[in-house]
Amino acid sequence: MSGYGVPGGPVVHDPMTLPVDDNVNKYTFCVELKGSEWFLQKGKMIAYYGSMEFNGIGHGRLDRLVRTSFHSPLHASDWVVAQGSGKMLLADRAFDVNSYDLDDGNLTIRSGNLLAFQPSLALKQSIVPGFLTLIGTGKFVAASNGPVVFMEPPIRVDPQALVGWADCPSPCHHYDHGYMTGVMGGLRAMTGLGGASGEEHQFEFVGAGTVLLQSTEILMAEQATGAVPQQAGVPGAGGVPGQHGQQTGAPRLPGQLGDLQRRFGL
Amino acid sequence: MAFREVNSKMVEATVVPGQRLFSQRGAMLAYKGEVSFTPNVQGGQGGVMSMIGRRLANEATPLMTVEGSGTVFFGHGGHHVQVITLTGDTLYVEADRLLAFDGTLQQGTMFLGSQGGVMGMVRGQVTGQGLFTTTLKGHGAVAVMAHGGVFEVPITPQRPVHVDPQAYVAHHGDVRNKLSTALGWRDMVGRGSGEAFQLELSGSGSVYVQASEEKL
Repeated sequence: MSGYGVPGGPVVHDPMTLPVDDNVNKYTFCVELKGSEWFLQKGKMIAYYGSMEFNGIGHGRLDRLVRTSFHSPLHASDWVVAQGSGKMLLADRAFDVNSYDLDDGNLTIRSGNLLAFQPSLALKQSIVPGFLTLIGTGKFVAASNGPVVFMEPPIRVDPQALVGWADCPSPCHHYDHGYMTGVMGGLRAMTGLGGASGEEHQFEFVGAGTVLLQSTEILMAEQATGAVPQQAGVPGAGGVPGQHGQQTGAPRLPGQLGDLQRRFGL
Repeated sequence: MAFREVNSKMVEATVVPGQRLFSQRGAMLAYKGEVSFTPNVQGGQGGVMSMIGRRLANEATPLMTVEGSGTVFFGHGGHHVQVITLTGDTLYVEADRLLAFDGTLQQGTMFLGSQGGVMGMVRGQVTGQGLFTTTLKGHGAVAVMAHGGVFEVPITPQRPVHVDPQAYVAHHGDVRNKLSTALGWRDMVGRGSGEAFQLELSGSGSVYVQASEEKL
């Protein structure tokens, strides 16, 4: 590292000393492009050296690339392709950033946490709404609030602390209302006295695999994962109310905020 | 049953049958094994009188009881977590900074006016503690939250420690604290240094200071 003068002063990077496909610090990741491409979420590039082009997906020349490694057509507008050669820095609002290598594997991640990925990976919508699945071999970059901790199943995870999972079958919901049984519990449930522990609902993972957890319960803003085909049997394909009759959750009343409200748990 | 720091914002606690743990509601991140989380009406230990005391003192933070057998991971709000192990002495901390603590610790509420009278009450206002603070006494571990990293400053009888009231997190040991003011004519004319109030801790023990002046 070429520091100017004082030892212990700030590290000054130039294009030569920037790491190749590695973290610069906890919050910044550097990607090297050599005539290759990377997919990144809009607005996550903070600086770059060299000559690069950032094209929104849907740009004519990239059609083939998008076809092979991008499988959620309707959320394509949130992603751009970086092309060219040079070094590019990625960051997201001072969240911790880390890269992950997949070797012929699969990993499902919360849509808001994924920052960028190599086109050798295929990005698909997960069946679980709000999550994206990466399949194949390559590197991707994801952000989290606080360092990511890897856990082995069986484990039950607070929904807000879950970042993603690899190789596990899909999670299921676990409800824990033990304290609401019995006479006192019934009273508690009826009157609301005593409050709730806030931990009645978890995601449960079983089987072999890895679960990724962030260290806090602060969620990153969710990114749209795109609409799914409006077909019977497709989860999350609520679409236009009334069209298919079956809508997730409670029926929407006038004055409710819809998606926003669900996101903030109102 | 100590807490193990997984990283700066997350702690791991082992729960065994027969021993319980208190934690702030909603602070569980994940768990393994069979663990139950029960909201605690009393907001901690003791009977109904303790509960009323805490309510009046505004030190009633929503707590839950953690019981069962397994491993539980705690973290909350992106705050840094500091594990403090108590060996018989008393920890003074604000109730809303408590992330989790052993059920073996004795929880109490202290009136700040009892330490230094009116000046104690003024001190409470300046540090944001209010008129009351929570005490934990006994043998066990406490996970305390702070904004920014936490460091421990030892207090020895010869060396009192001065802390910015806003950066003060907790202290334990045989410590007397008083608010020292360095108010001068400059503060009166609006040219103060912004450091007119300091918390002076003397005696023997430790004070925990956060690397930020932001309150939780």
